[in-house]
Amino acid sequence: MTTSSTLRPGAGDHAVADPGPPAPRTRRGDGPAALAFLTPSILMFLVFVLAPTVGVLGLSFYNWNLLSDGSFVGLDNFDRLLHDERLLGVYGSTTYMALAILAVNVVAGLLLAVLLETRMPRWLRGFFRLSFLFPFVVSASAVALIWRFLLNKDLGLVNYLLGLAHIDRIDWLGSSAFAPVSVIIVNSWKTIGFSILVYIAGLQSIPNQLREAAIVDGAGAWTRFWRITFPLLSPTIFFLVVINTINSFQIFAEPRVLTQGGPGDSSRTIVEYLYDRAFGDFDLGYASAIGITFALVLVVLTAIQFWFSRRWTHYS
Amino acid sequence: MSTRLRPGHLAARVLTFLVLAVAALAITAPFLWIFRGAFSGSDAELYRLPPTFHAENLTVRNFGLVAEQVPYFRFFLNSIIVSGTVTAAQLITCSTAAYAFARLHFRGKGVLFAVVIGSLMIPIQVTIVPLFLVMSKIGLTNTLWALILPGIFSAFGIFLLRQHFLSLPRELEEAAKIDGAGRFRTFARVILPLSGPSIATLGILCFTYWWNDLLLPLVMISDTERQTLPVGLVLLAGRFSTGSLGTIAAGIAMAIVPVLVVFIAAQRYIVQSIASSGLKL
Repeated sequence: MTTSSTLRPGAGDHAVADPGPPAPRTRRGDGPAALAFLTPSILMFLVFVLAPTVGVLGLSFYNWNLLSDGSFVGLDNFDRLLHDERLLGVYGSTTYMALAILAVNVVAGLLLAVLLETRMPRWLRGFFRLSFLFPFVVSASAVALIWRFLLNKDLGLVNYLLGLAHIDRIDWLGSSAFAPVSVIIVNSWKTIGFSILVYIAGLQSIPNQLREAAIVDGAGAWTRFWRITFPLLSPTIFFLVVINTINSFQIFAEPRVLTQGGPGDSSRTIVEYLYDRAFGDFDLGYASAIGITFALVLVVLTAIQFWFSRRWTHYS
Repeated sequence: MSTRLRPGHLAARVLTFLVLAVAALAITAPFLWIFRGAFSGSDAELYRLPPTFHAENLTVRNFGLVAEQVPYFRFFLNSIIVSGTVTAAQLITCSTAAYAFARLHFRGKGVLFAVVIGSLMIPIQVTIVPLFLVMSKIGLTNTLWALILPGIFSAFGIFLLRQHFLSLPRELEEAAKIDGAGRFRTFARVILPLSGPSIATLGILCFTYWWNDLLLPLVMISDTERQTLPVGLVLLAGRFSTGSLGTIAAGIAMAIVPVLVVFIAAQRYIVQSIASSGLKL
């Protein structure tokens, strides 16, 4: 295909006369080349994405443990889902923690990103930005282990600092009220840098003229923020709301390392619950059914994300 | 714009820097604390409150003790092998697929691309059970392959690079074609050299993701010798009975240092990659 067009130098003229996305109709069908370019991805996709996805659907109709090849049980696993009170509780704690992490990221992230816009020396801005971001690249298990020290009830630094403010010791990791709060703190601490950076990129895409015009018109910083920055930033905010929701629904390492999901199920996430059913109880069929409910949640969240991102392209 | 400072202005500036400084301290202090802990000679020293430095109580002994507790450098090597291989393979598969989606014309392109994007909704957490069964069927559980192979296909990576390839001017490729370059040479000689930052972006996001992953090694690997660092750290921390807390702190600190070095060296790309992940999705 490619050689045939090189025989006709005129094809180049066509491209110059008509640049841009709509492809010249003269050459179509890069079939063989496309196949070569796509084969590695397609192979990996078939074996490690599509097969397991089909597998999760299939397994959910089976009673399957690791020792025997299992028996077909129809919709039994889904019936169990409906009567699994722990599942509902785990979805509750997952949602609670996810929403709280979302709120911290979206609100505190915006505050810090806006404050970073203040005039300051380059190195200082760089220092702030990098220190906010650093935990994001450190593994969740290392982060959670550090915080396990810091949140220790009797010896931890956090309770010591609270003690200085005359606040009684809190049982961060051992009480069902504070265990999820610990997961929220640790995960937000790790991920807020991501939100800040996305906000910074969003803020930089706002044309300066708008803000300067507002300054000329005598608008104060407060008014400028609510009348100009905030509305123009709304697509970024929407994006962060959805991406943070999706990410925080998938949390596994923090509760695993900090609290093992306890006490009770107070800080257990759905991924942890699925993991325990599958690799603790070897109840693979039921774990797959849980996986399907989780996939449905993610599909809904992702659909919302795409809906918003379409809105966003509309904006700019 | 305004060089003169009114009193209100000054107060606002002071408050701004105060908030930023407190936030930066809250985020960096835990790292400083763990590094100090890594040098502490005893558990009492590690947990001393307020945490102060007493040079005479500090020691580097902990760093040596880590490897006596767990095969630490084995974990480290495994992590490098896994993340490095996944990243290299992902860059190849994603860039070639992205090029096909951005520039080639073939039947079923739209459907195929929709399938790729659709798979974004099915993360590994959902498919982990059958993935484990697939791996054990082909006899790869408890090998590093079980951690490498599932990470190679990346819908996000294909999408990210496709967006970038679409933004490149077509004229360059047309010129290469006139010079007689085939599809593959055009891709390798024209497209890739123009895509350094995007490739670096994907590489960094991919490497950090797999370097940090806890779930997959926990599911796939039963042999301690074949674990990666995130699980290794948890194993190390589990040895409370035999090891001192300083040793655990040293293990954590040693896991963070390389990340810190890479982070500082590649900060421009990291900042760019995360900022653009928000803009491009």
